[in-house]
Amino acid sequence: MKKYLSVFRISFAQEFAYRLNFIMWRVRNVMQILLLFFLWTTVFSESGRTIFGYNKGEILTYVFGVLIVRAIVFSARAVDVAGEISTGDLTILLLKPINYFKYWLTRDISSKALNLAFATVEITILFSLLRPQFFFQTNGYSLLGFGISLIIAILLFFSILMTTNFVAFWAPQVAWGAQFFVIVVIADFLAGVLFPLDILPSVVQKILLFTPFPYLIFFPIQVYLGKIIGGAMWGGILISIIWLSILLALTNKVWHRGLLVYRAEGR
Amino acid sequence: MMSRNSFMQMLAQRFGAIFLLTGKILKFTFYIAFIYFLLKGTKTLAGYNLNQTMFFFLTFNLVDVVSQFLFREVYRFRPLIVSGGFDLVLAKPISPLFRSLMGGADILDLFTIPPLVALVYIVGSSLGPAPLEILYYLLLLVSGLLIATSFHIAVISLGIVTFEIDHTIMIYRDLTSLGRFPVDIFREPVRGFLTYLIPVGIMVTLPAKALMGLVRLPAVILAFIFASVLIFLSIKFWNFALTKYSSASS
Repeated sequence: MKKYLSVFRISFAQEFAYRLNFIMWRVRNVMQILLLFFLWTTVFSESGRTIFGYNKGEILTYVFGVLIVRAIVFSARAVDVAGEISTGDLTILLLKPINYFKYWLTRDISSKALNLAFATVEITILFSLLRPQFFFQTNGYSLLGFGISLIIAILLFFSILMTTNFVAFWAPQVAWGAQFFVIVVIADFLAGVLFPLDILPSVVQKILLFTPFPYLIFFPIQVYLGKIIGGAMWGGILISIIWLSILLALTNKVWHRGLLVYRAEGR
Repeated sequence: MMSRNSFMQMLAQRFGAIFLLTGKILKFTFYIAFIYFLLKGTKTLAGYNLNQTMFFFLTFNLVDVVSQFLFREVYRFRPLIVSGGFDLVLAKPISPLFRSLMGGADILDLFTIPPLVALVYIVGSSLGPAPLEILYYLLLLVSGLLIATSFHIAVISLGIVTFEIDHTIMIYRDLTSLGRFPVDIFREPVRGFLTYLIPVGIMVTLPAKALMGLVRLPAVILAFIFASVLIFLSIKFWNFALTKYSSASS
């Protein structure tokens, strides 16, 4: 445990070594949220309007919820795994008495802590400037469901990210493309970052809910908003746990297969 | 010749390129789906109907994709400055500005531009524009591309002075991406900021509005004056930046 605390501390300090890099990443996040904020404010410009089952307060809570949940779920240092495999730097970690997955999960958590701190500051500033309507959830049951679904979302994203990065074992040149495809395009859209997935036709929603992606962003925020409650909430959590088990098993299998073909190029 | 080299490089990493191209197409399709379902529910966005909103989005994409196609080399400029490899560019009998700006077209965009132009044509036709409105649209597209050119020149100039390009260009892209929807959705002072300071409105919203018959000749002339001033200033900045090039690491 002590060594992982050290990894956490070092990783946290490393984030500050590239301050401009980090600040720019946060600025980009804020800009994306601003676009969505103004878009939805325009859509709900008529007072009392309800569209797709949302009122203005709920949709703006969704937008700001994306800023927070995305900072927690999507910020990860494990994006560097593919590069580490491609350059042969993986060997250094393999020789150390440390669990590779726990190492990267610890680094991810340090990145999430920093991103969450910044996202909180950003939300405070945006709130004081824009003064949006906001929905505060007071139901402990929904808050508990939100917390559980958020932890599952973090682990789901970790396993998706690791599996995608392990492509580098077989095709180092393709890993960045695979990461862009799965993380930037598929996960971002199908997780509900750009729009709440319930604006889509119900058939599409039903299909999407059987994939792991909505459980990254959309589902936790829906639980927070109290739009998914009771049996539906626990049913969703169960599906996400099933997905998590499948993906963790897949990640583990791909990792072991990958190690068999790993040749430590560059080392 | 430089574009051919760029194409050969792309072929060397063809599987990565396929992922990237598929990702770009999917991202575009997701946005189209979003606009379609959103407008299906709301009927209008800031007073614009589905086809008009779609046209704003397509025009944004056209300006964005064409600029990326032409100015992809900007994304590869920083290593030249950091390593001092820019010395070799300066020593060659070719304009260093042209080489730094347009020295490696993104051939991947050659696959996306034709269908995008076809979509712009189809959706644009459905708006029933008059010939003069089409002319204004085309002229304003040119002015939009001139503004994009000036920003890319400013970014590489800033890169010479500060060694920082990657983030500046991404911030520029994020700001322009606010033009995916008409700038009318933003409230003041953001709208003014996006119209005059980072002229996303003039780059992408104004051309689309011209095709809808919402822009008159004086606005077209003003847009061109604005774009010309920006080009002039950016070239001045480039010339200034060259005097600050330190040839570090070479």
